[in-house]
Amino acid sequence: MFEDPLPLARLQFALTAATHYVFVALTLGLAPYVLVTQLAATLRGDRSRMTAVRFWGGLYLVNYGTGVLSGLVMELQLALNWSGLQGMFGYTFAAPLALETMTAFFVESTFLGLWIFGWDRMGRWAHLFCFTVVTATAYASAWWVLVANGFLRNPVGFEVVDGAARLTDPVALMANPAALLAFGHVVTGSLLVGALVIAAASAHHILRREDEHGIFRRGVRYAALVLCIAPVPVAAFGGPQFELFGSAPPTSGLTYTAAEIAAVESASGGGALLGAAGTAGELTMVLSWTLMFLLGPVLLLAWPLGGLDRWRWLLAPLVLTPSLPYLASVGGWVFRETNRQPWTVVHHLTTADAVTPLSPGAAAVSFGGFTLAFAVLATVTCWLLVRYARRGPGGGPLAEHRSGGPGAPPEPTAPVHTF
Amino acid sequence: MDLLSSALLALLLVGYLVLAGADVGLGMLMPHVARGPAERRRVVAAIAPYFLATEVWLVAAAGVLAGLFPVLEHHAVAELWPVLAALLAGWLVRDAGLWLRARVDGARWRLVCDGAVVAGSWTLAASWGLTVAGLLTDGLVASPFTVLCAAAVMALFALRGSAFGAERTVGAEEAACADVAARGTRTLSRAALGAVALAVASAALPGGPVLAPVPALVLVAALAGVLAATSGLTGPMLSRHTSAAAIAVPGLLVALAAPLPSAPVPSTTAVFVWVFLIPVIPVMFAGQVWLYRITRRPAASPTFFA
Repeated sequence: MFEDPLPLARLQFALTAATHYVFVALTLGLAPYVLVTQLAATLRGDRSRMTAVRFWGGLYLVNYGTGVLSGLVMELQLALNWSGLQGMFGYTFAAPLALETMTAFFVESTFLGLWIFGWDRMGRWAHLFCFTVVTATAYASAWWVLVANGFLRNPVGFEVVDGAARLTDPVALMANPAALLAFGHVVTGSLLVGALVIAAASAHHILRREDEHGIFRRGVRYAALVLCIAPVPVAAFGGPQFELFGSAPPTSGLTYTAAEIAAVESASGGGALLGAAGTAGELTMVLSWTLMFLLGPVLLLAWPLGGLDRWRWLLAPLVLTPSLPYLASVGGWVFRETNRQPWTVVHHLTTADAVTPLSPGAAAVSFGGFTLAFAVLATVTCWLLVRYARRGPGGGPLAEHRSGGPGAPPEPTAPVHTF
Repeated sequence: MDLLSSALLALLLVGYLVLAGADVGLGMLMPHVARGPAERRRVVAAIAPYFLATEVWLVAAAGVLAGLFPVLEHHAVAELWPVLAALLAGWLVRDAGLWLRARVDGARWRLVCDGAVVAGSWTLAASWGLTVAGLLTDGLVASPFTVLCAAAVMALFALRGSAFGAERTVGAEEAACADVAARGTRTLSRAALGAVALAVASAALPGGPVLAPVPALVLVAALAGVLAATSGLTGPMLSRHTSAAAIAVPGLLVALAAPLPSAPVPSTTAVFVWVFLIPVIPVMFAGQVWLYRITRRPAASPTFFA
């Protein structure tokens, strides 16, 4: 295993991408809820809803940090470890990624900074505007990344000149069914992740009768609604992707002939392990989806009977349900990505040709270091998320610091003028 | 279109060095500037809002490099793989320290996170030094120039950081760390001037850089000029602008004088990128300016980061 850098580079990318996706899914799932709550709080001037924004926003930020860190590593890892992909498909595959970095992430990170530091430094509508930009760019970012990812599955809109791909049809690139379906699937799936995290935190506090601001009774009702609605589009966007798996992309034949493609596919080794991983991923995904699909109507029936505020047998298991959408997300991702092997770009570039010719030592050091760093980072972040969720609105990272409390700065602080 | 795309890449890279140089440099100087937990909190509070808006310049530069200049990216990765991997590791450690610092209320936790910020900042600056040296010499070579060029770039990062610290760690009460940082600008600009002089001298030795002579001479002369100005008595006053000009020089040297492979950007890809980019540029610009203005002073009460 250590003589060949390919398995290490692949496993490293898989682990980075899975870590990134787990945190990004919660970012995408929480952002709309935080935004709508802040809109309601701003419209009504409602202090208890603003407390809710500070609570869910705190969880959002703790989660966002790790999402960004894994995203940075993922982007640079594409350049460092997969130079064959960049060499052949730089102008096509990487162009949407370039747009993601500038039009989405650049703006998102800046406006998130403004949102974090703007609580008492700008008007409430300006503050709401900042989070609107953060939400919009988070979704734009997901879209551009999935345009790039969809291109790997179903490469379209280019010609091959001297062994390198030249973009000929940007519209086809963006309207790629592999990208659009994946975007719909990921967005609706992320809403489920967000809803069940909100449901779990809410159930925990409702069971302890800690809900003076009504944050958690609203949270569990939001989760009930999303769980009734979202599983259907998740399946509707997911199902048609199965059809793409068997079929050849429209550009098949530009790089390799049909006979060469058949030879590459029949010669690819390691099929048994990969196939097993893919099947396990598919089963996990379908099973988790079924459980979530059934949970929605149960919550909806309990709502008019008052069960969402009282029924211990219903609320206690809800605390554990966030594992379902996470398992479904990672399982689905493993299924989708293993299915593409032995290709990095289907029918154009094999994974073996895409990897950077690394020395085995360099590949092992890079794999060991980054895997360890992510294991620590992901563990600490999960621990912090659970800890802040249990502490409730009083102990969150964005909780208001009232003057007079222990550790509070002396009030009022003298203004500092600068010109 | 090629010129415009190249200018965009150079702008993002130089913008990163000028803006992120400030918070990376202050991270390097934290052990020197901040004495005690309260001052360390103030230093991190000066870095923390700012780094969110500066590291995005490098992310954008990496994106443009991959999407519009894959040949150049291929060259950089092939020549500099270990340095770039170290840069990425330093970046990860530093940002993890910043994101996690205020999450647990304990002196040892904060000490570990501050240590990560300092170590990550030094790793970043050293990796940038080696990256610049490697791009100027067309591949990383073991030579006196590589070492001295890396040292000069690290000194420029530290100078930028001390100018930033002098400006932004001023608080309502006493401002010991701002004063320490301000005094540091003169020492650091002298050190940087020395390192630059030695690097220029070593350029003639074997393993030196292969540069276009005219832009290289103009840029190095400008660098020596601003560093000499900062070494004088008015150094701390000038350093806000001179340190920015000084750290821009390595980026401009790479952009204008280094022997880099180039390939024309295919027009369809260039049009595709620019059509989506142009409408967003005002938003990018407005967000950056707004964040710099709103965070000119470190927050007095605890915020999300420190």
